[in-house]
Amino acid sequence: MKSLSNLLFSLPLLAASVAQAADITLLNVSYDPTREFYREFNDAFAAYWEAKTGNSVTVQASHGGSGKQARAVIDGLKADVVTLALSGDIDAIAQNARLLPPDWQSRLPNNSSPYTSTIVFLVRKGNPKSIKDWGDLAQAGISVITPNPKTSGGARWNYLAAWGWADRAYAGDRVKVIDYLTRLFRNVPILDTGARGSTTTFANRRIGDVLLSWENEAHLVLGGPGGDQFEIVVPSLSVLAEPPVALVDRNVDAKGTRAVAQAYLEYLYTKQGQTLAAKHHYRPSKPELVDPTSLTQFPKLDLLDIAHFGGWAAAQKEHFADGGIFDQIFQPAR
Amino acid sequence: MSNCSRSLAAAIAVALIPVASAFAAAQVDDAALRAVLDRLEVLEQRLGAAKAPSTAPDDGEVVAELQTRLAILERKLEIQAEEAAARAPTTPLVSIGEKGLAVKAPTGDFDFKLRGTVQFDQRYFLDDESPAFNDSSLFRRLRPSLEGTLGPLLAYRITPELAGDSATVVDAYVDVRFNPAYTLRAGKLKGPIGLERLQSASAIGLVERGFPTELAPNREIGVQLQGELLAGRLSYAAGIFNGAPDGRDAPTVDADKHFEFAARVFAEPWRNDASALSGLGFGLAASVGDKQGAGNNFLPRYRTPGQNVFFNYRSTVTASGEHQRLSPQAYYYRNAFGVLGEYIVSEQDVALSNSPAAKATLKHDAWQLTASWVLTGEDASYRGIARPNQPFAIGAPGWGAFELVGRYGELDIDDDAFPLYAAADGAASRAQAWGIGLNWYLTSNLKLVVNHARARFSGGASGGADREDEKTVFSRIQVAF
Repeated sequence: MKSLSNLLFSLPLLAASVAQAADITLLNVSYDPTREFYREFNDAFAAYWEAKTGNSVTVQASHGGSGKQARAVIDGLKADVVTLALSGDIDAIAQNARLLPPDWQSRLPNNSSPYTSTIVFLVRKGNPKSIKDWGDLAQAGISVITPNPKTSGGARWNYLAAWGWADRAYAGDRVKVIDYLTRLFRNVPILDTGARGSTTTFANRRIGDVLLSWENEAHLVLGGPGGDQFEIVVPSLSVLAEPPVALVDRNVDAKGTRAVAQAYLEYLYTKQGQTLAAKHHYRPSKPELVDPTSLTQFPKLDLLDIAHFGGWAAAQKEHFADGGIFDQIFQPAR
Repeated sequence: MSNCSRSLAAAIAVALIPVASAFAAAQVDDAALRAVLDRLEVLEQRLGAAKAPSTAPDDGEVVAELQTRLAILERKLEIQAEEAAARAPTTPLVSIGEKGLAVKAPTGDFDFKLRGTVQFDQRYFLDDESPAFNDSSLFRRLRPSLEGTLGPLLAYRITPELAGDSATVVDAYVDVRFNPAYTLRAGKLKGPIGLERLQSASAIGLVERGFPTELAPNREIGVQLQGELLAGRLSYAAGIFNGAPDGRDAPTVDADKHFEFAARVFAEPWRNDASALSGLGFGLAASVGDKQGAGNNFLPRYRTPGQNVFFNYRSTVTASGEHQRLSPQAYYYRNAFGVLGEYIVSEQDVALSNSPAAKATLKHDAWQLTASWVLTGEDASYRGIARPNQPFAIGAPGWGAFELVGRYGELDIDDDAFPLYAAADGAASRAQAWGIGLNWYLTSNLKLVVNHARARFSGGASGGADREDEKTVFSRIQVAF
């Protein structure tokens, strides 16, 4: 009799789990320039998952400025996974909404970053303003396009790369560094909310002399329509951007998608995931898994990581928080 | 794109027309060009656009600079439009006005309203010797009200009462709105019997409601199905409640384990017509249930227009069986004129705790007729005067709206109540009262009231004599939003 009742209780659970496995939907909340990469990666993962389990999975993607996307998740957007530009944005989700544990970054290899990138300059063909390094951006008559560091993770990397260069160029003279940043941002006519918006401003609206761009985004422009009208300039120094990925524990547990979401993130570290990352101009964290010829597109340059700036929490507080240095140096026209 | 942004875009285009024309003719007037650049700079600053880097004043470079600056402004407008579109679905709409504070989700499904009613009275009793009453100032009602909707299905209302010595909850209910014809209301709510009781406290004609309200339940606790049919011409309510004694709130728990059933049907057949009968409404309400117990949770105490008790049962009396009410009711409003009438009979089985065999069914009844006339021509209505045609304003010609109100009513106690169930020298067997009032609606939120009422009694004093007439002058300051 007891066995019969157990069976009766188990049937609805079994039916529910079968229904769920047969039609799983994941939401990946990501930052701006990853659209093309994750479109192809999601298809590859769906095929892999169906081959492995016999079940179909649909991965929906949401893209926007990294900071804005983090805020959306904090405000209730039910992301299964987040793949953002900065670890600080995922820290904000962990701290403010407690949707994942504080040690989330230790759960996947390479600080939970399956790929890295850096910041380069995209200029118009022939580089008519002869822009070669960060110092040129603060010269009079140069129009610089970069998104808003308040809303865009890429923009924060842009800012920190400029800061890192100036800090070295002016031997740590803080007054000169801030003066340099002030002059640079005086040359910025528009602050888009995300990296993709800035690309549109520069490439499609033809505004500005130089776009401070993710390396992968710059390659995307070169490979797109009209790409022959631009060229990449690699500065003497830049940043090692480690866009992290993470499982949003409370959401996946509520939706019952933990296993497939975890497999989704782990697939980023496989040969297929790393190859796709390289194809879309992200630097693979496991280069040994990809064809060496695909790595030749990534020039070697001096890269500063976030530790150089004291970590994201310190950088956020000093530079980007309300009343921080960015607020002091950037005064929009009134 | 906002209207402001469109206007700026148009202004930019207009500003650049003379430049294009000038270059087309290959004739550049430096002063005119400078003027156009100045205008462009003003527009850039209005739009929050940083001025583009300046170039040398060579003709070709000036054109290039203008093109760049124009492109920047266009892109700024584009970004503004994108950000506005992104914000629109999540930004709540906040409004504050004569109906209080309202916050509404952009989808319209969720909203929250903060409303309130404050009534501060001055009350004077004239020629009161036996019994004597205290003239006083008091807050009659001090009620903030929180209302809202939680999606298309759910609505709620919570109204605490802060007047008096301790805070209580007047209304607290949730509506499950299946559609306008069927809404399920659960919680603490007005019982569906008395016509004037169902009228908003801020809209009643005189300071206090009439005698029939003394026989109707005040707030009930239970569940009620209600709705409007035939395009609002017919409304109904039917519910199951703990059962309130006449004129009072239901106890928080149903102490006698007996529910009360109450229902009301009200018709306004010509409500949507442009005829003289469009303001006519009439209906019938009834309740039935058992009450078993002694004390104020089961048996009524009836009050005068001055809110003094003139009838009470002996302490040995218990409610001991069926309690029924029946109330035909009607109102008619036509332009500035209004009249409201209702009758109610309340019939209760009673017994004596010290003599269980002594049982009786006592039937008390009451009626009233209230007429009103808005002297300044605004439309009278069951919901009060919505807003004066010319609200009062200092230094402006408006004085608000003035309304005259008159009422006559009676409450008759069953003769069989005396002497076994009520003492003739402490409880009157009949009360007759009339009252007149002037209401001054300064604005839709502020109302000043002055009333004079007189009540006459049969019995209720020592030796079976008539209780002293009650003469009152009540005034009120009312703020409602």
